[in-house]
Amino acid sequence: MSNSDRAEALLRGDKVDRVPLYHFLLGFCARNVGYTTVDMYNNAEKSFQAQLWTFEQYGIDGGPDYGYASYGGWEFGGEIKMPEGEWQQAPSHVNFPVNTEEDLAALAMPDVKTAGSLPLAMEFSKLQQKHGKPITVTLGGNFSVAGNICPPSTLCRWMLKKPDAAHRILQIASDHILDVVRYWSDTFGAENVIPNLWEPMAANDIISPKQFEKFALPYIKETNEKMLGMGIKHILYHICGEQNANMPLWAQIPMGDPGMVTFGHQVKLSTAIEYFGDSCIILGNVLPALIQTGTPQQVYDASRDCILEAKDAPRGFMLMPGCELPPMSPFFNVYMMKKAIEDFGYYG
Amino acid sequence: MASDEKKAEILKGLHDSVVEYEEEKTVEVANEAVAEGLDAFEAIMGGLAKGMETVGDLYVRQEYFVPELLLCADALYAGLEVLKPHLKAESHAEPRKIILGVVEGDIHDIGKNLVKVMFDAAGWQVFDLGADVKIERFAEEQKKCGAQVVGLSALMTTSMLAIPRIIKTLRDSDSTVRVLVGGAPLNPDIAASYGADGYADNAGEAVEQAMKMLQQA
Ligand code: B12
Repeated sequence: MSNSDRAEALLRGDKVDRVPLYHFLLGFCARNVGYTTVDMYNNAEKSFQAQLWTFEQYGIDGGPDYGYASYGGWEFGGEIKMPEGEWQQAPSHVNFPVNTEEDLAALAMPDVKTAGSLPLAMEFSKLQQKHGKPITVTLGGNFSVAGNICPPSTLCRWMLKKPDAAHRILQIASDHILDVVRYWSDTFGAENVIPNLWEPMAANDIISPKQFEKFALPYIKETNEKMLGMGIKHILYHICGEQNANMPLWAQIPMGDPGMVTFGHQVKLSTAIEYFGDSCIILGNVLPALIQTGTPQQVYDASRDCILEAKDAPRGFMLMPGCELPPMSPFFNVYMMKKAIEDFGYYG
Repeated sequence: MASDEKKAEILKGLHDSVVEYEEEKTVEVANEAVAEGLDAFEAIMGGLAKGMETVGDLYVRQEYFVPELLLCADALYAGLEVLKPHLKAESHAEPRKIILGVVEGDIHDIGKNLVKVMFDAAGWQVFDLGADVKIERFAEEQKKCGAQVVGLSALMTTSMLAIPRIIKTLRDSDSTVRVLVGGAPLNPDIAASYGADGYADNAGEAVEQAMKMLQQA
């Protein structure tokens, strides 16, 4: 099977010969092909090309994709800084469009054709289409987009002291996500678009499961239902960070048929299968830090453990790091993930 | 002068209003403390700071999460604002000083902000450099303010690589400075291999570690 066939076969519900390999890895690609990290985020052509080359080299089956976790601030009028220097891995916010309730009251919905990173993301998706790759658009989950429009600490305070403001900003984030997905659907056909949503801010590293239930769950659920109602077939959710206590709540959220859910090392793959195995392809979850700082043997062993734990998930499994592949990962360690698939990932 | 009973009641009031993140009530009780002639240092340490200690425990036990902590901190700061002007000179002769910052390339600042709160609560003078702080700035600022401790936060394996460089610039500029590090990808072994003097797993332990480091110095 060829690489892009494999991920698509799983989405169709067909059998695959082996466990596919999936990655979010923009910064690593830059290093791999000799571009700068900023090329990956502000030059669609270079970003796409660097990923294609890297995917070929390491036998990666999914992607290429474009996006980053701080999505939302720039689109609503805040400032973002492109990665520069030796240690930057992704764009980061310089300031936020909303700091006060007055800002919130005055906030206008962005024009999705022109706002922030979206023109570049659209250019990237046109390259995906041209090359016959799955068309994806990467956004934050509802709670993370809200927490990128205003500082996360403001969102946290509002949840407890000004719940109306918290609900308002979550509603705005939700409407925006739908606006973007509608634009992509109108351009490429809903059935061809896979929204990629990252939700680090709703992790239990930050909020309680009760707060998740009140402020994240209803918005994420409704947005996903509406996306599926538009004709979207598959949603990829990156359920980032410590999310164990949120799992029963996540399980109430429709992700498509099948959906794709990816986890950090904090959530065991067997737990992921328990909650999502019947409806979603499970992706994960080699510890990113280990891929950067471990030995090749350690990466190989950890990849093997993931494969053996999740290979037989009912709707399929893809091996992936627990979050973005650290850009400074040794090249050979990255290769070890593929090697583990070669040795343990084939279906008999 | 307040009776012992009254004093205990006020200290408990300060403690509880911080724990229950009642900012206005904290100010009210702090004003009462002043009116009753309570020693401000005692009111801060035995009331507000104690409350923040309880908050730290609730956080470690996962009864409180970041939103609660932030509001408890707001209450703490509101109380400090009332009480600090009443501190007697000898009770805060020379506060311990710490510089805090998230290293270059990294904007994950939620954890660092919690660490700052705990140091504020413990009576340290905190110089917060924010997030994505350039390598050289730590040594520059340390020279200016003479902080005994520098606290470095990194949340990514990428950005944590800046830590040994920062430590080197710090040591080159002042060999007595102590460096405390923290953040999810770090652990005591990595911290030691980078040449740090201490590591803490969470905001509550951070102050304890810093105190230990100073005693060893
Ligand atoms: C929330 C979050 C975000 C938010 C950050 C918002 C903000 N303003 O901070 C947003 C969405 C913006 C974000 C962005 C990104 N993120 Co992020 N994020 C997280 C997440 C889920 C939680 C972090 C957090 O706030 N925890 C809550 C606080 C309270 O805990 P804490 O920070 O650990 O702090 C405690 C202790 O560590 C300690 N401590 C902390 N600092 C210090 C300092 C000292 C001196 C001491 C003593 C103690 C101490 O005390 C604190 C309190 O108890 C983590 C997951 C994780 N495992 O940490 C990923 C994580 C850190 N992110 C990750 C990534 C990859 C990114 C992005 C690069 C993604 C992308 N491609 O865009 C960007 C980076 C942008 C940038 N330039 O920095 C990865 C890093 C992987 C790696 N390489 O190591 C992580 C680890 C996800 C994972 N794999 O599970 N992220």
